[in-house]
Amino acid sequence: GAKAFTVSAGKHAKFRCYITGKPKPEIIWQKDGEPLVPGRRHLVYEDREGYFILKVLYCKPQDQGLYICTASNTAGQTLSAVQLQVKEHRLRF
Amino acid sequence: EIPGAPGAPLDVQCLDANKDYVIVSWKQPAVDGGNAILGYFIDRCEVGTTHWTQCNETPVKFARFPVTGLIEGRSYIFRVRAVNKAGISLPSRVSEPVAALDPADRARLRKGVVPGPPTDLQVIEATKNYVVLSWKPPGQRGHEGIMYFVEKCVAGTEDWQRVNTEIPVKSPRFAVFDLAEGKSYCFRVRCCNSAGIGEPSEATEATVVDDKLDIPKPPGR
Repeated sequence: GAKAFTVSAGKHAKFRCYITGKPKPEIIWQKDGEPLVPGRRHLVYEDREGYFILKVLYCKPQDQGLYICTASNTAGQTLSAVQLQVKEHRLRF
Repeated sequence: EIPGAPGAPLDVQCLDANKDYVIVSWKQPAVDGGNAILGYFIDRCEVGTTHWTQCNETPVKFARFPVTGLIEGRSYIFRVRAVNKAGISLPSRVSEPVAALDPADRARLRKGVVPGPPTDLQVIEATKNYVVLSWKPPGQRGHEGIMYFVEKCVAGTEDWQRVNTEIPVKSPRFAVFDLAEGKSYCFRVRCCNSAGIGEPSEATEATVVDDKLDIPKPPGR
């Protein structure tokens, strides 16, 4: 099964994926089968080392789920999946 | 969310996958909304697309369903919705992705590729106490880290012994100690990754272990 990672609520989660292929593959990020739309909390970019990055800022409980990075070019398709868990803080008084 | 409709089904899993079908199972929702659950709808989505397709036209009662009509080699995720007389639930959390492959093909793909032999193996230093070897990684090696096993053999025999028996070497160079003075040795190197250990490189010429000091070449030559 997919590996599971846990992040504390309010922290950032960074997904890093290294993909090689000719021609250069196109990347699609998905969460729970839905496309991830880049936005203020969801950054999608390629870093200097050639990794494809998805950064989810200030994680909330609803960010929990299955994240899939799919790479495809004219030759085919491949994917990598991880499960993200968001741990909520218990406030103690 | 429809009032009186069931909660979302739980724990969607793929029990058995092959190139013709994937058996999807799930657990009934914790809440039935006050009305008995009449059945379930199963949806599939090919990974890399965002198009969800309903697999069954009429609700199924049993919490397990063989999904057919898959394209061999493609990966899919699944989700399930529960129905009662008030309406349809929200979809469950999605299953993990599963490829429509026969188990033997899956095992073969998972195993990965054993790297080829390293090239240009050379003795770059030879003293009576140690010999330093250097080589180049093989051409095709993917992104996965590659490591090496060094082997020695008394020249004229075919009795190859692994030098670093425990720990594979990460750099493409290695110092071999504990050689018998006066004897002549050949060396060779194998690559390894998680898929296994590859074929050895070509062996070096025989190197004699003696007092003859290795004099560095002048620079620029």
